[in-house]
Amino acid sequence: MLRHTFLLFFRNIKKHTYSFLINIIGLSAALTCVILISLWIKDEIHIDTFHKNEASIYHLLERSQRPSGINIGHTNSGHIGELLKEHMPEIEESVEVLKYPNDATLSVDDLIVKADGYYVSKEYFNVFSFPLLHGTTNTLWENTKSIVISESLAQKIFGTSNNVIGKSIEYQNKETYTVSGVFKDTPMQSSQQFDFVFSFEEEQAKHTYLRDWGSQSTHIFFKMKPNTDINAFNTKIENFIAVQTDNQRTNRKLFLAKHSEEYLYGNYENGVQTGGRITYVRLFGIIAIFILTIACINFMNLSTARASRRFKEIGIKKTAGASRKYLILQHLGESIATSSFAMCIAIIVTLLILPQFNSIIEKELILQFNGMQLTAIIGIALFTGLLAGSYPALYLSGFNPTEILKGRLPSLGNETQIRRGLIIVQYSISIILIVSVLVIYKQIEFIQTQNLGYSKDHIIHFDREGKTMDDKAIEAFLSELKDIPGVIDASSTRNKMVGQPWGVGGVQWSGMEPKDYAISFQNMIAYYGAIEMMDIELIAGRPFSKEFTQEHTKVLFNEAAIATMNLEDPVGKIVNFRGMDREIIGVVKDFHFDSFHESISPMIINMWPERLTKILVKLASGQEEETLSRISSFYSGYNPGFPFNYTFLDENYQQLYQAEKRVATLSQYFAGLAIIISCLGLFGLAAFTAERRKKEIGIRKTLGQSKTRIMVLLSSEFAKLVGISIIIGLPIAFLLSRNWLSGFAYKIELQLWYFLAAGVTALIVAMATVSTQAIRAANKNPIEALREE
Amino acid sequence: MLLELSEIFKWVTTGGNRTYLLKGINIEVQEGEFISLMGPSGSGKSTLLNVIGMLDHFDEGVYHFLDEPVQNLKEKHRIELYKKYIGFVFQSYHLMDDLTVYENIEMPLLYQKYSSSERKALVADMLDRFNIVGKKNLFPTQLSGGQQQLVGIARALISKPKLILADEPTGNLNSKQSEEIMQLFKKLNEEDGVTIIQATHSEANASYGSRTIHLLDGRMVKG
Repeated sequence: MLRHTFLLFFRNIKKHTYSFLINIIGLSAALTCVILISLWIKDEIHIDTFHKNEASIYHLLERSQRPSGINIGHTNSGHIGELLKEHMPEIEESVEVLKYPNDATLSVDDLIVKADGYYVSKEYFNVFSFPLLHGTTNTLWENTKSIVISESLAQKIFGTSNNVIGKSIEYQNKETYTVSGVFKDTPMQSSQQFDFVFSFEEEQAKHTYLRDWGSQSTHIFFKMKPNTDINAFNTKIENFIAVQTDNQRTNRKLFLAKHSEEYLYGNYENGVQTGGRITYVRLFGIIAIFILTIACINFMNLSTARASRRFKEIGIKKTAGASRKYLILQHLGESIATSSFAMCIAIIVTLLILPQFNSIIEKELILQFNGMQLTAIIGIALFTGLLAGSYPALYLSGFNPTEILKGRLPSLGNETQIRRGLIIVQYSISIILIVSVLVIYKQIEFIQTQNLGYSKDHIIHFDREGKTMDDKAIEAFLSELKDIPGVIDASSTRNKMVGQPWGVGGVQWSGMEPKDYAISFQNMIAYYGAIEMMDIELIAGRPFSKEFTQEHTKVLFNEAAIATMNLEDPVGKIVNFRGMDREIIGVVKDFHFDSFHESISPMIINMWPERLTKILVKLASGQEEETLSRISSFYSGYNPGFPFNYTFLDENYQQLYQAEKRVATLSQYFAGLAIIISCLGLFGLAAFTAERRKKEIGIRKTLGQSKTRIMVLLSSEFAKLVGISIIIGLPIAFLLSRNWLSGFAYKIELQLWYFLAAGVTALIVAMATVSTQAIRAANKNPIEALREE
Repeated sequence: MLLELSEIFKWVTTGGNRTYLLKGINIEVQEGEFISLMGPSGSGKSTLLNVIGMLDHFDEGVYHFLDEPVQNLKEKHRIELYKKYIGFVFQSYHLMDDLTVYENIEMPLLYQKYSSSERKALVADMLDRFNIVGKKNLFPTQLSGGQQQLVGIARALISKPKLILADEPTGNLNSKQSEEIMQLFKKLNEEDGVTIIQATHSEANASYGSRTIHLLDGRMVKG
């Protein structure tokens, strides 16, 4: 019996190759999407979950009031962890992590490498699961000046990760550290990525300001005791800082967020958790389901449409004694066989395109055939087969054999309705996807072409280190840089403009109200010429200038700050910042120093040469490469032992929108695919309709109807369906895109033409698909059609 | 007695009017009979055959097949009954185009409990008996009409039914092929004792039978 079923299945495929191909292509494309998206989702939801203590690790966050709303701070004062631990028995362990702002230069003899490091406190490797390959957690920090390095950094520096404990590494060509341990490279699924760590305790002893309440640079993690009620605990610690500072700092409210959830639930709007990357996880999950549904609908439609070809088979089988149960099983079997075959193709395609996919999403996903994934793959194949096959199986097996064998086609009213409904569902989904892709694309484009208020093009930055750390020499260094051909300008700032927290601070001014103490100002530190170099527009006063003295006592503000402070004629007025009276010398136009998700906060700009960490160089456009190599050779002579590692400002900016850009790229592919699969289905159905109406067309033609009329006749049925899909799809698309855009503080307006374009595209593509079949049918010699009857 | 129909009525309702397809049919069929149903198109021959073959329902009356009351049987039972005792032969053969001669003949056995070796033996036997061994790997479209019908009959006989229902079995055949098929039916009836009920337009074909029943507008009429 099984042999027969298979024989019939294969001979059917041979005979109706093209509808089989439509099914296979559609299903395998959809399944490829499902596999890729599942792999991605699996990876996303497992970020930071690999820690053994995952369930009990929490990050200390802080809510603080700002004029633009409530801000969430991820870093805090360095001593607060220990202090909280003393007061709160629920805390089992406190871990401090300080991220080094610049890449460090490490060297052994002549070998120099750049690496990224953290300062971590003693219990770090006990709380987080970054396994040590060499060394033990107890002995890592026995000696001062210890460094713990990653396996690959050890490979890079020493050529091996064995027996490196006790070896020395030069840090910034200034200090010598001794390797006390080697840890396994931080996995891709970790949000903490670093190549080496130093002792936080030593750093804190060296820089005692880290223990000040005003300092907010340290990440504080807690390992909580089991069964701690985190909500209750959050209430308990909310005003901890206010209590500890005798109600000095009442605007800083503490709370804990689970570390493993921060990656997916990292967005806060006005202090309230509002999702985060989980949105994209859900979005792609839905897209996967959509695409699979579209492909399954093709399968159902083509199977039921093809049914007439199989009526006879079913009739004969029934008269030969096949039960309905058997027929249902047969058809389900066939569709499961088809979906399994499609799954095999999908797996092959996935393996082929996974590297490409990985480079888009910047992950290292792998398709494994271990228990879990294999079960999932088989499960998806079975599910797809059942989903796609259930309706055709029930439908086909339900016919009365005598009707079929008498040549009477069973009543088709219901079936046609269902098929139409399914096409409408398919096309509505496609239209929603087209609109979404368009909106995402437009928003990304908007952000990238938006005037930021400063120019980031052709500007590189690199870290101050070694000789360039010398504040007295900086002026000479900059002027030598400026002499290099191709260099337009050079200056320095503390910050790389985006993607790095700015310092914050309080400002006091005359006419200040008590509530204003809570306002924190973003603090930009700029050297002479930096404001001009980046074309930050001045609306009043002047920038820092060497023509004046005591410039470090003067400040500039942005418009938002002036508005917040409610100062009239600010230039010349005195404010107090960090305990020093400072004269306002200018006001700059608001510029975007954060992602477009955020609105512009108040900012104070001051001159503080000791705190500058970045050298900025503006290059003449068109000859960047030559100029960069000139700078590089100049730098290696000027600052031996330190490699020249630069980044374009623009790259930092692009990184801000990486998540959106990835979504944009991926959704373009997926939407394209969804439309192609839908068209495949429509193509098959149009062919089938033309076939079924062959006789009708023949009669019409012999009676003198024109080809055009016949084409219109055949196409209009589908045009109507696509029309209904447009009516259903567009409002849904509108709501979805409005919802997505609401996450941006600066965004495009939804334009009518986005929706018109989507509708027209869907219609044109559908009509192009259908008309190929309609033309073929209309051009047929009617005699052939009628003779066959 | 093989089967007995008494006062069988079948109708369809269109627009409130009942159109009778079968009206008060009373037939008794003994095992080993060869009955011809005659009548013009639309007289109800095919409907009657379908009712006898349990492929179609009737609205009124009593039908006993081997003393089982067919109208009271569940679908599953009916299928059991007809797949065991009844074979169908159709005017347009109704062979599966995608299956070979061999596979077509084998098909009814798949829905009953036969082992694969039993099936092989039965099909080989049948091919041999009908002299079509050489054609067993051909597809129906590669055969002449007469040969196709031969395969159709072989398929109907494979599960050793007591009753063959043939709906105008020679309707698509030329006279020479017709005669061969009718001879085959006669032989089956006389030598193997298979009961045959055929619907036919042709007096010549009807004359092969032992008894003729005339139908007109769903009623039995005297020839």
